Amino acid sequence: MKKTHYSSIVVGLGVLLCLAFVVSVTLGRFPITLRQLLNALFFARSEVSDQLKAILFNVRLPRILLSCMVGCSLSAAGASYQGVFQNPMAAPDILGASSGAATGAALAILLELPGQMVMLFAFVFSLGTIALVMLVSRFARGEKLLGIILAGIMISSLTGAVTSYIKLVADPNNILPEITYWLMGSLAKTMPRDVIFAAVPMAIGLIPLVFLRWRINLLTLSDNEARTMGVNVGAVRFTVIVCATLITAASVSVSGLIGWVGLVVPHLLRRLVGNNYRHLLPASMIGGALFLLIVDDISRNLLITEIPIGILTSVVGAPFFLWLITRKKEVA
Amino acid sequence: MNDAKFDRVSVSDLTFSYAKHLVLNGVSFTAYEGEVLAVLGPNGVGKSTLFHCLLGFHNREFGGEITICGESVRRTSPSVLATRVAFIPQSHAPTFNYTVRDMVLMGTTAQVGGLSAPGAAQIEIAERAIERAGVAHLAERGYTQISGGERQLTLVARAMAQQAKILVMDEPTANLDFGNQLRVMTRIKELTADGYTVILSTHSPDLAKHFATRILAISNGKVAALGAPADVLDDELICSLYGLTPEDLLLVK
Repeated sequence: MKKTHYSSIVVGLGVLLCLAFVVSVTLGRFPITLRQLLNALFFARSEVSDQLKAILFNVRLPRILLSCMVGCSLSAAGASYQGVFQNPMAAPDILGASSGAATGAALAILLELPGQMVMLFAFVFSLGTIALVMLVSRFARGEKLLGIILAGIMISSLTGAVTSYIKLVADPNNILPEITYWLMGSLAKTMPRDVIFAAVPMAIGLIPLVFLRWRINLLTLSDNEARTMGVNVGAVRFTVIVCATLITAASVSVSGLIGWVGLVVPHLLRRLVGNNYRHLLPASMIGGALFLLIVDDISRNLLITEIPIGILTSVVGAPFFLWLITRKKEVA
Repeated sequence: MNDAKFDRVSVSDLTFSYAKHLVLNGVSFTAYEGEVLAVLGPNGVGKSTLFHCLLGFHNREFGGEITICGESVRRTSPSVLATRVAFIPQSHAPTFNYTVRDMVLMGTTAQVGGLSAPGAAQIEIAERAIERAGVAHLAERGYTQISGGERQLTLVARAMAQQAKILVMDEPTANLDFGNQLRVMTRIKELTADGYTVILSTHSPDLAKHFATRILAISNGKVAALGAPADVLDDELICSLYGLTPEDLLLVK
């Protein structure tokens, strides 16, 4: 009875996401009515102006799709890291995937490479950082999890230093503002090819996580316990970390640094559907997409000049975090 | 007396050392179907280490041989071992709060493939285990919100759902009040009638005396005594195990 209750919350979130998706398409400086949308997509493509089609297919739909994909991935990565590290405060950047991406992007911008290369640099640097963290942690003595987290903190602070140095030597007239803007996180410059660039690694990372989600439950217990229940702890943990990193890297490389989603959304959903990843992971994926879609709608519609989405998620995320640490301890 | 029964766990000449410190030095014993084997010994004598060896955590480090259900533990994969041996840790507080039902269901993980979650059959198994362990009224409650005794019974249910016939319990009654100690031990004792083999450690010679079929006393890395409580558990053994004098014992008599 309880189970169907949780499943229906997941389905309900899905319905909400579909509604929000349609509404988001109609919102914008160039309004698109529902009829125009349906005509452009299915019924009478010839009746719709080329200008509307260009806006719809080249600008608005890619951006909406990407905000959903990034929200879904960051939130799924956050939920997965929280389970693997047995730490409710873990977020997608816990091991330095984001700061690694920032270094890569800053370097590419410094070298005045084109937008696609910035994305690729961010992606590769992000994965490289985590590879380094995992490699270093293999040599760490003592508690395995602690070793990984400490290696992550150290290496992300190193990449942070590199990013700072790049900003120092960057031309303050054109390069530095571009780096700063990238770091704030934004979906404003989304192009259709970005969606495809991000979709492949996200799919490769998300699919195993969905299949392994029951076993993430066992990883939240002690290693010994999980092992005696037949889980190959090392292999499952490694796979989950690799997948979560892959989707984080893909997200950050197309959107810049968007904080808080991976922490806030899984936490909200833990309260709604409980801690069992059987429901929590799908709920986080849908909820994350919904959350970032709505925040991005605000980001592009609230003011004449767009507010970078990374700033908005912090505005929402920081008060939530404060509430999280001050509330009474009950179901968590 | 147990010769006719199937021997489930057979340990021969087990040695183990942390760095240069020799913890276990030539421990040998056998545990049979349908018995409670209580391991007694002072703190730090290596009871937990012994259990970790049985559970396959130290396959590369220990010396000697451990056979479980006729197969060397070194050659048994975790997923197969999980169908033979279940581990019940001391009652603990995990980071995330799961319902008692979910906690028990986790025990069935080894019964399904690596990429799937427990299905209807496993849910049924878990429900029966919850019923038998006497925690059905707690099924929807959060594991971190129930008492220590209730948690321990939940872990017993989880071990039953795992459907392994050997239960290894590290101080199952630690931190429990007197009533809960008796309730947990009674439940454990009942399981042996169904053919379970229980190996547990305890710091209470009294509990061991009442509930154990046999006692394995470990001292200085060696087996100090092995046999039925009536045969081996006397003041002399307790004094030598815990470093007490007969006068010390008189204080509690």
